[in-house]
Amino acid sequence: MSSRVVVTGLGVVSSIGIGRDEFADALRAGRSGARPITVFDTEGFEHTLGCEVAGFDPRPWIHRVDPAELGRASGFSIAASRMAVADAGLTEDDLRARRGLICIGTTDGESYDLDQLVEIEVNHGPEAMDPVQARRSTATRLTAGVAHDLDLSDVEAITVATACSAGNYAIGNGFDAVRTGEAEYALVGGADAMCRKTFAGFYRLGTVAPDCCRPFDSERKGILTGEGAGVLVLEPMESALRRGAPIYAEVLGYALNCDAKHPVAPDRESIKECIELALRNAGVEPHEVDLISAHGTGTPANDVTETGAIRDVYGAKTPPTVSFKSMLGHTMGAASALAAIACGLGITHRFIPPTINHRETDPECAVDCVPNQARDAELKIVQNNGMAFGGNNAVVVLGRFDEEVAR
Amino acid sequence: MNPVITAWTAVSPFGLDRESFADGLRAGQPAALSDGAVHKTARVPGFDVRALLGPKGTRSMDRLVGLAVWTVGRLTAARPAERGDRTGLVLGTMGSVQSTMDFTRSSFVEAKPYFVDPGRMPNSLTNSAAGQSAIKHGLTGPNVTVAGGRAAGISALGYAVRLLRTGRASSVLAGAVEEYSDARSWVESHSGVHGVLGEGCVVLRVEPAGEHPALAEVLAVRSRFARGDDFEGAMRSCVDTALAAAGLAESDVTTVSWSGVPGHTDAVAELIGDTGAATSMFQIAGVLATGAPGDVAVIGSADRDGAVACAVLRLGGAR
Repeated sequence: MSSRVVVTGLGVVSSIGIGRDEFADALRAGRSGARPITVFDTEGFEHTLGCEVAGFDPRPWIHRVDPAELGRASGFSIAASRMAVADAGLTEDDLRARRGLICIGTTDGESYDLDQLVEIEVNHGPEAMDPVQARRSTATRLTAGVAHDLDLSDVEAITVATACSAGNYAIGNGFDAVRTGEAEYALVGGADAMCRKTFAGFYRLGTVAPDCCRPFDSERKGILTGEGAGVLVLEPMESALRRGAPIYAEVLGYALNCDAKHPVAPDRESIKECIELALRNAGVEPHEVDLISAHGTGTPANDVTETGAIRDVYGAKTPPTVSFKSMLGHTMGAASALAAIACGLGITHRFIPPTINHRETDPECAVDCVPNQARDAELKIVQNNGMAFGGNNAVVVLGRFDEEVAR
Repeated sequence: MNPVITAWTAVSPFGLDRESFADGLRAGQPAALSDGAVHKTARVPGFDVRALLGPKGTRSMDRLVGLAVWTVGRLTAARPAERGDRTGLVLGTMGSVQSTMDFTRSSFVEAKPYFVDPGRMPNSLTNSAAGQSAIKHGLTGPNVTVAGGRAAGISALGYAVRLLRTGRASSVLAGAVEEYSDARSWVESHSGVHGVLGEGCVVLRVEPAGEHPALAEVLAVRSRFARGDDFEGAMRSCVDTALAAAGLAESDVTTVSWSGVPGHTDAVAELIGDTGAATSMFQIAGVLATGAPGDVAVIGSADRDGAVACAVLRLGGAR
């Protein structure tokens, strides 16, 4: 009943590139998505940089749904899903002939629209809210939009709203559904659009960096908020081989747990436990792991706590540990999905994307963060961390696919 | 072996416990409407977060989070979780629209756009109810927030079953929660939703059969998507596949409960109002409250955004 699950399609909407190839090039070049925020009015904020997806029009990817009925995050979600499906060499008819799962994770859903409804309410009263924006403000649209646009019916469409680890939750859910045979394919990932609400919140918490995100650096000042979507196609090994599909990676396992301690502060012991559960689920020993993609927000607290937990598991032999948020900003619910895609591309193209903006490693979070320059590497096993407010930890383990070696 | 439901509770417009919910359903009279709201609403009478949960840790707690924390607590009081015992929580919710919009509002109206209350930031995120419930009740297993409309409760039950089947949790509290708020009522009315808005929370304990007496066996949970708004057709296929998975024929079904399906009334919502993301969990609670051992119930729900889900339960547990 248990099947091996592989990644056969990648879809990317990000501040450093659209689509698999642009994204891979940007990761290798260590590009930064930081630019002045334009999607909402930043007047009154002293720091106004973010990793915005600039100049992207999702409409060419949207075939059936009226774009006016879609919020910004849903547009990202559909575009990335379409890219992933095409990348996997699947047609709509192929999908329609199979039982599927669509699971998209998010932090804010369509809060970008809710922000605008609030602005209308503040200026003109609640009676003046725009019905189109009201209708499309639900987070369910992030998955429903994908199902509608691909015109699918034999599909479970579910939005997981576990904040900033939601992308890994979605990958895990898809892994379980495919592995147990409940689904013959899964479109999984995360999507979020930058919004004033979350920017103001992180800003108030003192976690928005003035210039850039420098994970593990002694002068790190926090996150830049970001946005985008990452979607992966998961399917059983047998169907991928039968179709001759590209296989970027194998999903070896994952784990979820909850700190159950503090609404926003991460917990070292609990993260350690989640990593150990994920490695055990994947059938992997710590010494076999070649790379860790950290949650790596670049806030003083996260990086110390997270690297502490990593060291608790790996001891002195901690593998290279990078943060893609240095390039992408914190894309919230999309973060761990985009990171998983970056891991898959690193496995496929044999390199480790760098942690950019790095000057001096903080001894409090001393890891080999592959500073500033990508590094050629044979990656067999990669661990992808996702953590969130609410203590929602999710760790996914990916591996280079080798038909002969089952774990 | 199918997983079983071994405990449940409901906080509803009929009152703070499952007995009042069951009594209200049996009496068949709609819950009293509440005063002071912008639109017609039936709130949970006497639900005051601080009065019920005490002053500790509740300063910034909104109504939605309070409803979830309180309701989850009714089940953990009977069987407390222990750190590391892999008790999971899967909660269906759209989050508090009020908290989300209030947070943004301070950004617009205060002297500086970042003069927002940091203590309330987590409330503006959908996973706050599940996260806070875990903190209050020590739930360290998988903690999942499913964002959904009416069908969210059945989706949460399906997620819980998957976590149990794959051994990721030893026991799962699966629930759904909705609050009444003026913000929700405005967004809903502009979205074309009218009628009485209800609120409340339902939580079930779902776990492998055997150790604890079963109130119901979860025979199957299935989902579909309504293509071209064909909710009826999608629900028919959904129920067919669920019954097939359960090894049952349509003639075996003794009880049905629908929401959001054209041509079918939602009998529970007629009494407690439109409970949004909690709708299908209230349907499940309704079946558990009023059914008899041996009953086979089909519970189906369709989200207006297109997701369709159904669950097949056999009351009285495994035979």
